Amino acid sequence: MAKLGWIEKWTLRFTVVALLFMLLSGLEGMLMRSQQYDINSLHGMETLLNNIRPVGSDISTENLYYAMLTAHPIVGIYGFVYMAIFGAFYFLVPYLVKKPVKHPKLVVANFWLQIIGVMVCWAAGFFGLFNALYTLYWPLPVAFDRVPLIGSIAFMLGAAIIMVNILIFSYNIFKTVLSKDHDGSYTVGQFLRAAFGIPRLMKLFGKEDKGAVNLDYNGMPVFIVAVARGSIDTVINAVVLLAAGVLILVYGVFALLGHPLNPGAVDALLYKNLYWWGLDMVADGNVLIYTAGVWYLLVPLLTGRKLFGANVVKTVIMVDLLVSMGVWSHHLLGDTSQPMWMRLFSGQLITWGEIFTMGLTLFATLMTIWKARPVKMSPPLQFTLGSMFGFVMGAMAGILQANVGLNVVLHNTQWVIGLHAHALLLTGVGTMLFSVIYTLVPMLTHLEFKFKKLVDWHFWLWMIGSVGMAMAMGMAGSKGMLRRTLYTGGEFTPYTLAAIIFGSILSIGFIIFVVNLVSTLGLKNVFSLVIPEKWQKSTEKV
Amino acid sequence: MDKSERNWLFFLIALFVVVNAVTLSTLVPWQSWQLWQKVTPAKVVNIEYEDYIISMEAPVEIKKGEYVQFAATSTDVTYGFGVFRKDNSMVFQMQVLPGRTNTIIWMFDETGVYDVRSTEYSGPKHSGMVVRDAIEVK
Repeated sequence: MAKLGWIEKWTLRFTVVALLFMLLSGLEGMLMRSQQYDINSLHGMETLLNNIRPVGSDISTENLYYAMLTAHPIVGIYGFVYMAIFGAFYFLVPYLVKKPVKHPKLVVANFWLQIIGVMVCWAAGFFGLFNALYTLYWPLPVAFDRVPLIGSIAFMLGAAIIMVNILIFSYNIFKTVLSKDHDGSYTVGQFLRAAFGIPRLMKLFGKEDKGAVNLDYNGMPVFIVAVARGSIDTVINAVVLLAAGVLILVYGVFALLGHPLNPGAVDALLYKNLYWWGLDMVADGNVLIYTAGVWYLLVPLLTGRKLFGANVVKTVIMVDLLVSMGVWSHHLLGDTSQPMWMRLFSGQLITWGEIFTMGLTLFATLMTIWKARPVKMSPPLQFTLGSMFGFVMGAMAGILQANVGLNVVLHNTQWVIGLHAHALLLTGVGTMLFSVIYTLVPMLTHLEFKFKKLVDWHFWLWMIGSVGMAMAMGMAGSKGMLRRTLYTGGEFTPYTLAAIIFGSILSIGFIIFVVNLVSTLGLKNVFSLVIPEKWQKSTEKV
Repeated sequence: MDKSERNWLFFLIALFVVVNAVTLSTLVPWQSWQLWQKVTPAKVVNIEYEDYIISMEAPVEIKKGEYVQFAATSTDVTYGFGVFRKDNSMVFQMQVLPGRTNTIIWMFDETGVYDVRSTEYSGPKHSGMVVRDAIEVK
């Protein structure tokens, strides 16, 4: 393996930890699915683990299931997806803007704080049995007769660490792009104008943004603009979730001190609107725009052809910001207290805006590949195409449920979490992140993946597993199977069994990938990534 | 904009118009009373939620083809109100937010006996929030 530079090493460290979180999240998913199939399936393990839980051994299976269901998306999204994105962007952004990371110490801080934050949230569920789910619908997280007080406080502290860490990451990325250390420096105003697409908007009206010399999207790598644009959503997401976490934390601390506050002081509908406005930003910023940015970067790189319709793509990035600000009501279509006009416009029609932005993104990237024929179907390209398939599948399911009519029978069902969310996150984002890893590992280490056959096995098992699992869950949802509900009477077992089988296929694909990755890097090198450098030096001396 | 891109954009616009027009129309049966006409319910069914318990007059007898309003309130946390057939498939649902009267109007087009289940997570005992044979449509 080539001698790694400082940032390359950290990128690989983020990747290794991201994959470990993926493993943990996947294990949780499979355990919960086995409980859905047979509620008693984990009794032996539960009894064993209850011995190390401080909350006592008299804990119901439902308690454990919902605590795991609360931790599962935190580990999957903030552990796997964010860690992988941190690692990839900390390498790619400086590489593309030809400047070093502005604050290297913050890279290290990001690495540890994310691990600490995610693990504190996970422990709040595992040990503290915090079970209010990631939705945190008011006033459930402060209903301490249902949600353990200490668990709630711990979860909010963990969530606060994660959100502050995301703000630190965004700050460092922005500072790196704006750094005046080298050529091509930008002011904050210029950069934000580019991220918001002001120069392009002015261009549409025949005016020129004179302050944006070499800063219009024509002068800035599209990927960087997508990162900046996606980071705006990511920052809003972090600020809103941080505010919600602090609110819950305040209620928790007052309850701990014996002076509980009145939950009725906060309006449940207003809270839900604000919370979803912020929470949905993770879907637009992180899942959609970051992914689109990676496609814009990888596809021209892999095909050797300039991005097709780059001008349209740049406009799409701008338009999607406006769309992302107005779509949150699709999470409140089941709330009849929400005014119908908001459900109709924000929940349905504006949400449909995403079919235009993502539709044009997919078209641009697919046309780039088409026009570059014949192309070599390299592993990163294979996985990029797979991720596009995942996005089409997840987006179509999502757009059907974001509908005031159809949502009446789809809201809160397995359709939403299976065919929409898991398709987007596993087949879409997960496959995209694998394409990044298959690109970056040879780039960073000068090593080709050792077993080419295993790459194919990984691809097909991952695709069949993730698509099959999402389909099984989606079909169960269309038959009325609820999400966030542990069925105790054996309902929907054929669908759950199908999801278990496809989930197992997916897991095998993932394990094959890990084996191939570790074989390529070498076990010693992998360990050297996780062992602190000081220790390695002292070992070498010995 | 390239011609192929323009064509693709037209296709997306057509998709937008067709899917939205169809799903907002009365081809989705309940859109007729949810969006397009103001109906007067023949009956109002009140449902109260508190401490994981769904309180309602059960079984509620409803005539097939008549409009019924379901009005649900919660005194503590957010729940859900969902009506299910005996094969567990869903007829309709809504969220039940505390501090508000949450209403939905429905017209049953099939006779039969239906269960009511909370469709929103409200704490570890949520799974047990089912009222069997809560509605009888004749």
